[in-house]
Amino acid sequence: MRTKQKIIKVPFIGDLIYSSGHTILGILLGIFTGGLLIAISGVNPFLAYASMFRGAFNSLQSFSNVLVRSSPLLLGGIGVAIGIKSGVWNTGIEGYMYIGAIGATIVAIPELGLPPIIHILLCFIVAMLFAGLWGAIPGYLRAYKGVNEVTATIMLSYVAIYFTNWIVSGSPLAQEGAYFPMSLPFAESSLLSILMKGTSLHPGPFIGLLMCIIFHIILKYTPFGFRTRMLGYNPFAAQYAGINSKKQIVMTMVIGAMLGGLGGAIEVLGLKHRLYMEFVTGVGYESVAVALVAGGEPIGVMLSALFFSILKVGGATMSIETGVSSSMASIIIALCVLFVIGVGVADSKRLKKRDEKDPGKKTLSFKMEEAVK
Amino acid sequence: MTYEIILDWLQASLRWSAPLIICAMGEIFAERSGIINMGIEGIMLCGALCGVAVSYYAQSQAVALFACVILGLVLGLMVAFLTVSRRTNQVVTGLMINLLAIGATNVIFSVLTVMRHKRATTFGALFPESMHRIPLVGPVLFAQPFTTWIAIFIAFIASFVLYKTRWGLNVRAVGDNPQATATAGLSVIKLKYQTLILSSIAASVAGGILTLASSGYFAAGGMTGGRGFIVLAAVVVGGWDPMRTMFACMLFGATDAAQLRLQTTESIIPTQFLQMLPYLITVIALTIMVKRSRVPKTWGAAYDGRRS
Repeated sequence: MRTKQKIIKVPFIGDLIYSSGHTILGILLGIFTGGLLIAISGVNPFLAYASMFRGAFNSLQSFSNVLVRSSPLLLGGIGVAIGIKSGVWNTGIEGYMYIGAIGATIVAIPELGLPPIIHILLCFIVAMLFAGLWGAIPGYLRAYKGVNEVTATIMLSYVAIYFTNWIVSGSPLAQEGAYFPMSLPFAESSLLSILMKGTSLHPGPFIGLLMCIIFHIILKYTPFGFRTRMLGYNPFAAQYAGINSKKQIVMTMVIGAMLGGLGGAIEVLGLKHRLYMEFVTGVGYESVAVALVAGGEPIGVMLSALFFSILKVGGATMSIETGVSSSMASIIIALCVLFVIGVGVADSKRLKKRDEKDPGKKTLSFKMEEAVK
Repeated sequence: MTYEIILDWLQASLRWSAPLIICAMGEIFAERSGIINMGIEGIMLCGALCGVAVSYYAQSQAVALFACVILGLVLGLMVAFLTVSRRTNQVVTGLMINLLAIGATNVIFSVLTVMRHKRATTFGALFPESMHRIPLVGPVLFAQPFTTWIAIFIAFIASFVLYKTRWGLNVRAVGDNPQATATAGLSVIKLKYQTLILSSIAASVAGGILTLASSGYFAAGGMTGGRGFIVLAAVVVGGWDPMRTMFACMLFGATDAAQLRLQTTESIIPTQFLQMLPYLITVIALTIMVKRSRVPKTWGAAYDGRRS
């Protein structure tokens, strides 16, 4: 049986292959290896995974935690996924989130006397504007100067982290005499409402899910989406077809940055209610993981973001119950991605070779597929 | 007073650039053979923890450095297996190695609770105490820990190996035209494995030196603070040439040392802006220099043994 496969060509970097069958196999291998590591550290892996599962699904509250933790992963995941589709690595999601959160903070602190919905929207717009401008820097450098975007985005993320540290400790927005560096509290009208009593569930995850669907439609059915995908599949053909690839690269990076900024704003307005130092540490790498396991598909991002946030929330419970450090969650995430790409790419090689050996078989299988339809 | 500050800054610049130089020399070979080892940040982090932990338990710095070499070998084999044999995307593999390293060092460091308050002994100076008192060169050069000298020595060796030996020629050929290299009867896969393992060992040792030559402490999470990516930038800025990369590393090391010195003085600039400095300089240097560098022709592409 041949599973449905998609090969995403990334310019200068190589092929990315995606298929659901291999993704699941890779994730299972990742979880298995994670279990081995837990066993090495002296804890029964079955007990550890059971407590992880309980931590994520035990009560309504814990499941709402899963949703809340998935919100930055969802938005960051689509941000990276769009980049992958057009062949750029938008790895600076963490930085965009900080800059977006700073933008939201500037508007959220003063009492503007606006109705909540307008105030929140204003915060979102300012956040996206700030993050978009921030993302335009590596986008411009990548498209017009040829600077490797991975290095540029990660360097700028560090700049954003230190800028946030200054905002919460030395700027006029900082809370004076706080025990921990933080900004002034946000105005009541800017806070996202809690959807369920007794939990911290805010509309963020649903905004994230909505964005996944919107970007699925954009990528699939609009000229912009077509240009993006074309650039990713074959940059030379795209150039030949008259697509301004440089402009397209900048645009995809700016859109990814805006999504990241939105994620950061939701995080501070919905969960933290103030700006803190390092409030989304690690989300930068995790967003890349989310987008990769999803194979760059916005719909897949929904599933992989939820899966990773289950690991993260469950990991916290696991560390309380069994004593395995909660960082084990990020090890398992990284292992899953490494296995997913490791299994997938090797298989694409075999697939190509088989097709080369007897091209007749390929056409036959295509004919059979059509006949089934 | 200012004279002493300048001397101190020069001394620290060289000390901070030593791990960058060592890491960059390995990375040059990997990139010259066509593979970007993006995982050096993570490998450096692992090496930093390994260096401190082994030197604390074994009470020997030689053993600690040896352990770093072994760790780099293992991690390098893993990276090489994924990127060369499995032909996975090099950027993704590297980023996930970094995520893995952050998680792994946090887990291991949380177990080693004794290490939190204990300080590993740092490297001693290569030259005797009496030479430190020579004006100017004494404090700047002779008071350096011996790793600084090793780093500069390694840079010269790297330059020699890359341009003057058969193996160096093979490495350069693999990066520019793997098909022709394979036709000439060399194993492309084997060469790529060798360079990747070399770069991982260099990164791991650089991580060990990062902690053992300066503070002797390990800080979980952000110990390396993006130095791996700074090295990646330095290699591009230096045009994949060992000598020029060494100077690029020294520039970044000097920026790092300068911002640390400026933080302690009473300046009107907030410390956070000073901390941004190394990263901003990196981006600016990349922007200025990137067009002038000659990129290895198959930089970042996977080699699948067939004519492409």
